[in-house]
Amino acid sequence: MNIPPQQLLILAGILFAIGVGGFVIRRNLIVVLMSIELMLNAANLTFIAASRMHSTSEVQNLDGAVFAIFVICVAAVEAAVGLALVIAFFRRHQSISLDSLGAGE
Amino acid sequence: MIALLDITALDAADLRGAAPMLAVTCGILLALAAEIVPALRPARGLAFLGSLVAAIFLEVQLIAAPAGEIFSGAFGATASASLFGLLCATSAIIAWAYSLRYYKLEAPYKGEHDALILCATLGMLIMCGALDLLTFFVGLELLSVPLYALAAFRRARRDSVEAGLRYFLLGAFAAGLFLFGAALLYASSGTLSLAGLRAASLDAPLALMGGALVISSLFFKVSVFPFHLWVPDVYQGSPTPVTTFMATGTKAAGFAFLFQVAFLMPAGAAALTGALAVATMAVGNLAALVQTDLKRLFAFSAVAHAGTLLLGVAALAAGDPVASGPLDAALYYMGAYIFTAGGAFGLVALMESEDERFLKLDALRGLGRRRPGLAAALSLFMLSLGGFPLTGGFLGKYFIFASALRADLLLFSVLGILLSVVALGYYLRVVMTLWMLPAEEGAPLLESKLLSGRLVTWLCTVMVLALGLAPGWFLERFF
Repeated sequence: MNIPPQQLLILAGILFAIGVGGFVIRRNLIVVLMSIELMLNAANLTFIAASRMHSTSEVQNLDGAVFAIFVICVAAVEAAVGLALVIAFFRRHQSISLDSLGAGE
Repeated sequence: MIALLDITALDAADLRGAAPMLAVTCGILLALAAEIVPALRPARGLAFLGSLVAAIFLEVQLIAAPAGEIFSGAFGATASASLFGLLCATSAIIAWAYSLRYYKLEAPYKGEHDALILCATLGMLIMCGALDLLTFFVGLELLSVPLYALAAFRRARRDSVEAGLRYFLLGAFAAGLFLFGAALLYASSGTLSLAGLRAASLDAPLALMGGALVISSLFFKVSVFPFHLWVPDVYQGSPTPVTTFMATGTKAAGFAFLFQVAFLMPAGAAALTGALAVATMAVGNLAALVQTDLKRLFAFSAVAHAGTLLLGVAALAAGDPVASGPLDAALYYMGAYIFTAGGAFGLVALMESEDERFLKLDALRGLGRRRPGLAAALSLFMLSLGGFPLTGGFLGKYFIFASALRADLLLFSVLGILLSVVALGYYLRVVMTLWMLPAEEGAPLLESKLLSGRLVTWLCTVMVLALGLAPGWFLERFF
């Protein structure tokens, strides 16, 4: 149960890099949305790890933990609007590939 | 620490500082209620306008007597935050006034459109006064998410849906960058408040990276080179009233916070920021020179104006000897920009709601003879955007460049001024098309009698001239 915060930060960094990489490279819209979620969750992990890092046994620093809860909520909102946009896009293009973005009718 | 809000601990200052936001919240609730209760529907416009006018009125009072830090230091009801908030609310009114006849197919959903615009305005007001990263993030998302939906509002059209999707993807990516940056800043300093971050030493690599991520996500929002690539497509594809709102309000809110967090940039980043500012002006102005589509032309011009404002941020980072100089200059510039760009995009929306052919520059030919009032207003906005003397745009530019010169950014200022001259190339081309070229055969002839559009066009015209001719009046009252 006692993972050092440094290792958590490294894990978060790797997750974030995978998210950015996926966002830039992949062309499937659903995978791109998943990559964005990965980025947000990397931030969450960092917040939680840092919250523990800055807490002592007497004083708890909960700023990061609170922020993580906000992020989870906002991620749900973004997913809702994002998926709606993907569906609207699919209705027009019959495809969820980014390659059809900007392509002719 | 973020003190968890105790509702009994709210005092009068909290309520006074939050009053503009509460007014906008009432507007949102009324707009939504009107969707449920058909009897309320005729009062929809009144609720929208009423809440925003109330917010503006309350912001003006806050400018005179700022409430200071409220909500345990999460929000700063300062004079500059109120002034930025005032501009955001004004830009929402301008966008709304031009949207009344714009939607045809989507007209039944106009109520949702207005509610979304109010939500985004509320987000802007929160962003303008945010004093910690969490508050800012909530404001940012409250601004962004409604705008994703608004950009795709004409969902029967391919370009609108694509604009919404593009804006969403890049906005969500920028939010991811911001969050990870904020998390790294928090990891290295243990605080989220800007005051705490200012006091902490931010030289650790973790903090530097966090600061860079936060700043670049803001660059995305305000469309600074090299993060400006989404702008032309999104501005062109979105419904024009939404573009109006995006170009003016979002920029004001984004720069309001960018000025707050400029301290995150390490020493020596001022030169980099200045270089980015000049690059932004260059790509915006040069690309605008060859556009034939009006919305795309204005979109590139919006990028160029973000560059000029960024020069103000660079002046702040480089240490303008007049400490409040860059922020005041940016506020004046933004004030003029809200009315000029709002009016310019708005007139495009107005003409487009009559005839879509007006989206091409060529359709403006001979308009000066057939509709002199409209052509004169559009010409004035062009001159102000180009920074002609006696207009608000000129003084805004002058204040920004003066501040940059005080901060020893000589090279960037000179390049910026030269690029402003390049910009005249396309602004004057619009004016010339309006007045000097003969009308095409079969040119659109419809004339709109939209009262709100006319009133707001007058408001923008008067404000652009007033900001140019009587700067003392504004400087005395608002600065």
